[in-house]
Amino acid sequence: MKLKIAAYAFTIFIILILQTTMLEYVKILNVKPNLLLVFIICVSISRGNVEGAVTGFFTGLAQDMLSGRIIGFYSLLGLYAGISLGSVHKRLYRDNFIVIVFFTLVLSIAYEWMVYFLASFGESAGNIRFFYPMVHRILPEALYNAFTSVFMYGYVLKLNKKLDALEDK
Amino acid sequence: MFNFFENKSLVLIVVTVILILLIGISSAFSETMGQIGNILSVPITPVQKFCTFTGKNIEAFVLFFKDTKAIKEENEALKESIKKLQSENRELTKLKEKNMELKKALRLKGRFDAYDLVGANITAMDPGNWFNIFTLDVGSRDGIKADSPVITSSRGLVGRICSVHFSQSKVLSILDEDSVVWGWSEKGWSLRIRGDLEYKDRGFCIADMIPIEMDIAEGDLIETSGYGGIYPKGISIGKVIEVKNQDSDLYRFAVIEPSVDLENLEEVFILRKKSIEAGSEEK
Repeated sequence: MKLKIAAYAFTIFIILILQTTMLEYVKILNVKPNLLLVFIICVSISRGNVEGAVTGFFTGLAQDMLSGRIIGFYSLLGLYAGISLGSVHKRLYRDNFIVIVFFTLVLSIAYEWMVYFLASFGESAGNIRFFYPMVHRILPEALYNAFTSVFMYGYVLKLNKKLDALEDK
Repeated sequence: MFNFFENKSLVLIVVTVILILLIGISSAFSETMGQIGNILSVPITPVQKFCTFTGKNIEAFVLFFKDTKAIKEENEALKESIKKLQSENRELTKLKEKNMELKKALRLKGRFDAYDLVGANITAMDPGNWFNIFTLDVGSRDGIKADSPVITSSRGLVGRICSVHFSQSKVLSILDEDSVVWGWSEKGWSLRIRGDLEYKDRGFCIADMIPIEMDIAEGDLIETSGYGGIYPKGISIGKVIEVKNQDSDLYRFAVIEPSVDLENLEEVFILRKKSIEAGSEEK
């Protein structure tokens, strides 16, 4: 358990650094993938809703600390992203990569809409649009996320296999 | 206590309520709540610095090979434009001398006399795709306060500090939708300049709700007007590149190209108020 926490924390730390620095240089169509969200999705699909919720919460909290405007915003979204996907975990054939690609697409779209809505809810509520953000931000990001989710899922599965093997000893 | 953690939905409700409260508290007291971010921002700053540095070098390395051909063509074009510019330059130098004389005559004080300039490097970007916020490597230890204006070495407006941690601070760019700057066109009209989701992809800001009688045209230069109290007067914002009619015929809106290339910034300057510093020294 302790090992798992350390491994997850380390992964989140690395992803955060990549997300805020290197990814800026691999932007396609002005959009970068949201690796933190992909990590939450992969963990909750492969490990269930409790682990998904805890991972989602702490990943979101880390993002809150770094984006530095409102604490609790991403934590809340991450928590519910983890719970909602984790709840379907038992009904899935989890070794199929198409499953993870599909759910990443769906959840990325839902998640980014939530971020857009909640963030522009206050002062700029009159400027909320539907077509432009969908075509120019959300869809490209969701596709990009879906692509990266294949590799991230492979990593999460391998990591958990190793952690399970270590715990059995 | 053990039973409490057994009941998952109860834990969920409690955590949710706490988070919603936190959101409320942190949006009201962003100064103090920003300190929570220190837990993570202090250890991550040096790593981010290193990664941004490496990323930039990799990009520059790739571009070096990609651009050789284009550079040759560009070189020829540039040589021609240099000739043109040289002759223009001579005229401008004359104008500048005249300007200096006139300024001395008026005894105008420097615009930024009330401020110290603090240099900073950009170390990281916002993790998401929605906000135009970036991270600088100076923070409260360097005396940076929230809402300080941020400019470039060429005195173009970049944005303002939106949150301060111990060793880093965040800048809200003028392209962001939450940014509002009161500007002043060279013809003497006041404009409300803000970021827009659609135009910021092309690197532009907009000024909307311009009454139809206001005289504004392509090529007008915009400066900060000093209204709103955040930005001092006279920082260059940009140039009007397009004026359009808004939905109703009573208003127009203008597309403004910032005088700063906000996509490729590396170094910026923060205007730190001198009076605050002097006050703290007295204590």
